[in-house]
Amino acid sequence: MAQKKNAVIVGGGTSKFGVRQAHILDMVQEAARACANDIPGLKPTDIDGLIIASTMAGRHSSALNTAPLVVHRLGLKPTSICIRLDTLCAGSNSAIIVAKGLVESGISEVVLVMGAEKVYMPQRWETNYTQLAVNDHDWDSAMGLGVPPPFFAMIARMHMKRYGTTKEQMAHVSVTNYTYGTDSPNAHFGGRTLTIKEALEARLIADPFGLYDCCPLSDGASAVIIASEERAKAMSNRPLVYLRGTGQHATHSMSAGWPGETLAEWPHLKKASEVAFKNAQLTSKDIDVAQTHDCFTISEIIELEELGFCKKGEGGAFVASGAIKIDGKIPTNTDGGLLVYGHPFGASGARQAIEICKQLQGRAIHQVKDAKFGLTHNLSGTCAQHTVVVYGREPVK
Amino acid sequence: MTELQKSEIVGTPALNNVYIGEMDMWPLESPEFNRIYPFYDNLRAGKFTTTKCKKCGHITFPPQVICPKCWAEELEWVELPQKAKVVAITETQAGAPLGFESPLIIAWLTFDHPALKHLIGRIIHAKEGEVKEGDEVKFVTFSVPANPVEVKKDTKICDRVFYAFEPVKK
Repeated sequence: MAQKKNAVIVGGGTSKFGVRQAHILDMVQEAARACANDIPGLKPTDIDGLIIASTMAGRHSSALNTAPLVVHRLGLKPTSICIRLDTLCAGSNSAIIVAKGLVESGISEVVLVMGAEKVYMPQRWETNYTQLAVNDHDWDSAMGLGVPPPFFAMIARMHMKRYGTTKEQMAHVSVTNYTYGTDSPNAHFGGRTLTIKEALEARLIADPFGLYDCCPLSDGASAVIIASEERAKAMSNRPLVYLRGTGQHATHSMSAGWPGETLAEWPHLKKASEVAFKNAQLTSKDIDVAQTHDCFTISEIIELEELGFCKKGEGGAFVASGAIKIDGKIPTNTDGGLLVYGHPFGASGARQAIEICKQLQGRAIHQVKDAKFGLTHNLSGTCAQHTVVVYGREPVK
Repeated sequence: MTELQKSEIVGTPALNNVYIGEMDMWPLESPEFNRIYPFYDNLRAGKFTTTKCKKCGHITFPPQVICPKCWAEELEWVELPQKAKVVAITETQAGAPLGFESPLIIAWLTFDHPALKHLIGRIIHAKEGEVKEGDEVKFVTFSVPANPVEVKKDTKICDRVFYAFEPVKK
């Protein structure tokens, strides 16, 4: 039997995330440049595949058929794959899953995976209004459900009611993520830290969330290179970081189909992680560093539970205990996560992947000692689906 | 070189009094655009309905064209309960989408029905802070802006309706 090909992540980079004076195609170029800064010698001609993950490209940049636009601006000439895909907040992680399959099958050798969003418009109302399109338009959106805070606020209420989670425990998530995100040069809210007091006294967004419980809407772009082992060795001397296993699980879109007993239970994440761990031949105990989707502080708490890093219902106490810090049981979001780095939907997955790549190669700013296995996770929109990717210093045998 | 004249028009001229489908926040309810239009006809008659599979008995919400359980096409319309209980509630002050007034009150509801164990519902006809977890709410319908539809050389106007929930007076 032929040796199965392995897919690796070589490196990557992001544009500055934030409220940007830039077009989506400008930021795509910035991300590509940042990627090349991370992989010296990388040339457009090295790349045979392009996947660009973007949700807002069509509405806010009138760039529906985005992939060829990116090809033109980056001087690419892909021959194996050239597509835009959209899974909202999981965009570039979905693209990484696709790239992994294409590389392992031999269809592609070197894939440029990108994510990009242009969210800010000349008038604020349009940004909020467009968010109606990320939910089930004729049903939940018509109830006024647009930007996610009200939905996740109800999730927080349920978790507080069922498991006794407190606002102070939730604040530990943002305080910890700010500790690390302050040093990410491209982070939306980089360059500052946060105290529990500041978090608890911040202005209310949607009860029980204050300002720092919520990730911002951000413009931005990110880029990573997913390649075959052979091509990766030719491109970089760094230790190889393998894509070991992935899982992506969806159960519904509209609220009537919510799969959990209540909003506080996310069985669809549990299932996605089971699939990813099985494919990676690992368990949560093996993971040394994680990037979980901290769109809101409560999200990180629930994700740590459903991913198996702590017991169901104990997420609040877990994060408050310091378990998510660099020296804790499961260092999480060591570059600031969505809360601090920002969240241009399609770009976040690749941004997470870059940090895991650096952690496993021993070159992260906030380095976890001896990190061998890492994990990235995104939910999509109002928690409609979950995407999990597991990385390791060794391939699956 | 001619000096550039400052334009007096702000915005997009084509949008004056023009219906833009892409910006429409309400569903296209007429039979020209969907096969579940009886749902909206039933709303107009004050009824909250959905489809039930005649083959396997599964009831699903929203109404569909094939059964999501067994993919059968033989579906029938059935009524849903019009009262629900508030499980969680949230009031948004800032960032309510255009067309929705602040505070926008959204609740996670549960009905005494297998197809509606969970449902997001907007709460209207209620003051800020009035509705609490555990309260009962009831289904209510209202008119929303009509949309035009070109039919051959003519344009017909489709009146539209939608639904939300209001507190049941204690």
